[in-house]
Amino acid sequence: MGSEEDFNKRSQTPAYTPVRRVQPHESPETPTEKHPDPELGTGMIDARRYTSAQFMQWEWERLWTKVWLLGARLLDIPEPGDYVVTEIGRESILIVRQADATVRAFYNVCQHRGNRLRDCGLGTTGEARSFTCAYHHWEYELDGSYRRIPDIDTFPQGRPKRGLREVACDTWGGFVWYTLNEKPEPLREFLGPIPKHLDPYNFDRMVQTRDITVEWNCNWKTSVDAFNESYHVQGIHPQLLWYLHDLDIQIDCYERHSRYLIPFGTLSPRVRRPPSIPEPIKSIMKGAGMDPADYDGPIGNIRTDVQKHKRVQGKAQGRDYSRLNDDQLTDDYHYLIFPNLSLNVHADDFWIFRQRPHPSDPDRMFYDILTYELVPEGAEWPERAKHRKWSHGDKSIGTVLDQDAANLPGVQAGMHSAGFPGLWIGRQELRIRHFHKVIDDYIYGAAGRPPGAP
Amino acid sequence: MDLGLRGKKAIVTGATKGIGRAIVELLAQEGADIGLCARTEEEVAAAVREISGRGVHVVGEAVNVRDGEAYKAWLERTVAALGGCDIFIPNVSAGGGMDSEKNWVKAFEVDVLHTVRGCETLMPHLEKGGAGSIVIIASTNAVETFGGPMAYNAMKAALITYSKQLSQFVGKKGVRVNAVSPGPIYFEGGAWEMIKGTMPKMYEWAMKQFPGGKMGAPEEVARVVAFIASPAGSLVTGANVVADNGFTKRVQF
Repeated sequence: MGSEEDFNKRSQTPAYTPVRRVQPHESPETPTEKHPDPELGTGMIDARRYTSAQFMQWEWERLWTKVWLLGARLLDIPEPGDYVVTEIGRESILIVRQADATVRAFYNVCQHRGNRLRDCGLGTTGEARSFTCAYHHWEYELDGSYRRIPDIDTFPQGRPKRGLREVACDTWGGFVWYTLNEKPEPLREFLGPIPKHLDPYNFDRMVQTRDITVEWNCNWKTSVDAFNESYHVQGIHPQLLWYLHDLDIQIDCYERHSRYLIPFGTLSPRVRRPPSIPEPIKSIMKGAGMDPADYDGPIGNIRTDVQKHKRVQGKAQGRDYSRLNDDQLTDDYHYLIFPNLSLNVHADDFWIFRQRPHPSDPDRMFYDILTYELVPEGAEWPERAKHRKWSHGDKSIGTVLDQDAANLPGVQAGMHSAGFPGLWIGRQELRIRHFHKVIDDYIYGAAGRPPGAP
Repeated sequence: MDLGLRGKKAIVTGATKGIGRAIVELLAQEGADIGLCARTEEEVAAAVREISGRGVHVVGEAVNVRDGEAYKAWLERTVAALGGCDIFIPNVSAGGGMDSEKNWVKAFEVDVLHTVRGCETLMPHLEKGGAGSIVIIASTNAVETFGGPMAYNAMKAALITYSKQLSQFVGKKGVRVNAVSPGPIYFEGGAWEMIKGTMPKMYEWAMKQFPGGKMGAPEEVARVVAFIASPAGSLVTGANVVADNGFTKRVQF
């Protein structure tokens, strides 16, 4: 057994000089103030939350059917009759562009015998402007009302009262959001501060570059947790230590949602300054139109030099950064839109990782990778990426995400162990604690979690 | 074996870390006075302080060797401070990279020109002592394909050719000129530490190339350099001495 002194020497967080950050008054729109940390204690997070069928059922009844969820991108359904089918748990939702250009959402289920009307994904009704069920050809208008029921005179009871069952939907950020809650709060209220934070990025000017669904062998929360802290960078993503500052991170927990601000284009204090610019930082410079071979300054100045360069050169490159602060030009503004959207937001691209629960198995989930890239003004709008789907580990989704993916099944397996009571969460993982607190608010209500409950 | 380095005056560029640092540490240990430079002020000051602890005269300044005038002025100041120059070891390099043609300009200015300017500026002083010695730090990247068609590799090749021809040119004045070509060298804060962290597959590939399974250390290169630089290496001139623990595969006739 090692001595306590040796343990402490080996285990201390490295010292570092804080990076330069924009001051709140220097940010045109997105607030940068540090939000006061919530008082959430230091308790253990019960492992049963990740494995129990009961908890999963509670999540469905009290969370998934209450919150607003990301459904579709407006740019994907420009014309009346264009639609998206999206799935959550056992439910399938049909989001349809209407004749009057508004958008409505319905349960994707024929009122006759329960058949799914359309498969998951993007589509258009074309000339027909209606949905015909493949089974007995019941046909619905875009607004969900009946257009035709073959042999209606053979139904002495007439037709079911309503057409397709509608679910509430609204739009923000160029996306359609829906909720299975029959009495939802308005979307804007649910989103809280998020629109003020993210509107300046102009997602409408970005084209979708990846649209991938991978079935992962872990609970959906195991995945959300993985993207809610940077403590694991030194564990499973060592290469990122030559790319980002994994310690000087501002964490902000709001009412439901949270974020952290990660400086990119700089070295972690965990590694020594290398003799040349690390390749990952070079890629940031190249992305900004800088030539790393022409850079003579110290590596520590690159982040702010890239910011200055983009500020000056952006316009000429057809990139309008006028609504963003300098840090947004380099750093990762990482948001969790509760409950299941992990967002890496950057000036020139943004990535959504959407975590969806499996319909019945707490040990499985769907991981959607939706990435978007800014199309410079004057450039041709490229075709959006096609949707692809596969199972855990079948194909690479990029080095960093492969590292996350490879790790998660082991974490999920450990959640079942008699030798593991729960998660031991540190300050760098505050967002995990906050995320579970918000889940508790939904599952257990105002009374809070009863003693002994997961 | 006594290398005969005691009292010799050695100037080494890029000597606060890695191979350069190991060279000045060893030369100082053998009793040579040291003049060194690097880019960062604080690191130079720390190196001078630490090496002075070995009881020899050590001077150093922060210099960007790309700035020819500033660099030459530093060389002259250093010769004056040391009271001469017997050994010159140009070690600074722009490093690898295939980002743009600017890599070529940079590699030419840093790797090649700084070596040439150093040799020319110091030659009168090297001639004076009668046992002057130049050891140019090249690379095995010059002799075998590695990492793509990089400016670094071609400029290191230029240095090997230059060192051979310079050795013939200045031999009659009693100055020896050699190149030492290290293979991959691992040290904290070095390129291979970063490669191990950021490109683990490339690192694993490199490790497989060493018949003995070990990457070289700066101290190992320093011992080769110190021997060739010293009066003990009097028979060696115009050579390119490969110190790579078997990393390269060619037969060197």
